[in-house]
Amino acid sequence: MIAKILVANDGSEGGFRALAMACDLAKRYGAALHMISVEELPDFPASIGEIVEIKEAENHKFHDVLQRARAMAEAEGIDIDPEVVAGHAAASIVERVKALKSDLLVIGFMGHSTLYERIIGGTADRLVRLAPCPVLVVK
Amino acid sequence: MDNIWLVSALWIGLALAASLISIWTAISVALIEIMVGAAAGNAIGLPLTPWINYLAGFGAILLTFLAGTEVDADVVRRNLGASIGIGIISFLAPYLGCLLAARYGLAWSWPEAQIAGIALSTTSVAVVYAVMVETGLNKSELGKIILAACFVTDLGTVLALGIVFANFSVWLLAFAAATALAAWLLPKFVPWFFATVGQRVSEPRTKFILLVLFLLGGIAVSIGSEAVLPAYIIGMVLAPTFQREHELAHRMRVMAFAILTPFYFLKAGSLIEFGALVSAIGLIALFLGLKMLTKFAGILPLTRLFRFERRDGIYTTLLMSTGLTFGSISALYGLTNHIIDQRQYTILLTAVIGSAVVPTLIAQKWFMPKIGAAKQEV
Repeated sequence: MIAKILVANDGSEGGFRALAMACDLAKRYGAALHMISVEELPDFPASIGEIVEIKEAENHKFHDVLQRARAMAEAEGIDIDPEVVAGHAAASIVERVKALKSDLLVIGFMGHSTLYERIIGGTADRLVRLAPCPVLVVK
Repeated sequence: MDNIWLVSALWIGLALAASLISIWTAISVALIEIMVGAAAGNAIGLPLTPWINYLAGFGAILLTFLAGTEVDADVVRRNLGASIGIGIISFLAPYLGCLLAARYGLAWSWPEAQIAGIALSTTSVAVVYAVMVETGLNKSELGKIILAACFVTDLGTVLALGIVFANFSVWLLAFAAATALAAWLLPKFVPWFFATVGQRVSEPRTKFILLVLFLLGGIAVSIGSEAVLPAYIIGMVLAPTFQREHELAHRMRVMAFAILTPFYFLKAGSLIEFGALVSAIGLIALFLGLKMLTKFAGILPLTRLFRFERRDGIYTTLLMSTGLTFGSISALYGLTNHIIDQRQYTILLTAVIGSAVVPTLIAQKWFMPKIGAAKQEV
């Protein structure tokens, strides 16, 4: 039984494909749909100004993401509860899954470079490993 | 390499690489610039010409001024007892601890030990602020006290750097008088001047600020002090104006981060000696450990006194053990003025970088206040 779905949307086309899939699943199962977007601030900054500038750019970006997400959900005739948090993407999303007791996490596939994937590992990889619920990765 | 444009291309190329790595890894561009500078300096030997030294120095002055403009005087005033108490102890405990350890434990000379104490006394307001924004603590009373205390610690570090090595003469009094006069007049004059000249592409507002910083910085250097001291103080007194003038602050940040601070951080990194880094790894760990230990000894009891929860107290102490910008400025000041040698500089700067990373990771991993990530207004 899927009663709560959390979709993670970073504003990329992959993120919106994940949202479209999540909307479809929420409709089929009559599930509540939540969306989380994570503003990534730089680690170990040298000045507050660096944070302020990046935060303003992220706020601007996610303002548009929330508007587009609400419009998509409305077109599908479902309610969506979107929120934006700041922090590390994987940790923040997993924390939200746990807090919501979500039954399904839907994420977009992020196409990082091969080198990045090999050295750092993708956010999608980490979420699949760390999330305490089934994870649907939308390509 | 004598070709000025090829040297420029090399430095800007490294700055560009650092920016891209910073975006890719979501790690501060300043930290990446130091690392890129260290790698390039040891691999190919970055040329330090007078104009690169000028741009790097200009970057440090502007960075310090901008740090001063970020001081929220209202927050300090509202939390006066806790912020001044924690802030002063947060400066004094590591300053004295590292100073005495370097002098008596490692037999460094007094001036060398002074640089060690000052470089490791710092708290990174920026690191603290970033964590606060993520957790939403910047809106809470606890967060405001921590931030205010960080400003006080930074002021202690800048004052120490400006005063300890100054030549005590009548000129020092003249410099103090000129800085005090500027600090008194500018908050009255600058808002009027900014309103009169308005926002122009030729930026008379920025030019006026730079004129003041260069004049006071010049006087500071001529008496053996440091140009960042007046820059921080002038930034502090103009903070209310800059917190209203968002566009001007944005323009000055773009100018600083695009073309000035990369030269400063790349230069700071390029002077790290990999050989010394390896051979002195124990000393680096010692200084880092000592900084954290003395911060704990000084701050943790105060957090109890001010009735912080135990977890909040440890979290606060760890955040206040961080440092980057002023630590690197202090270490580079010591090297540039031949107070410390390159090996000591490598030890101190690496310990400073470690203090940006290690306490933050420990705080976030094990002592995060149990409030979760804060919802952001976008």
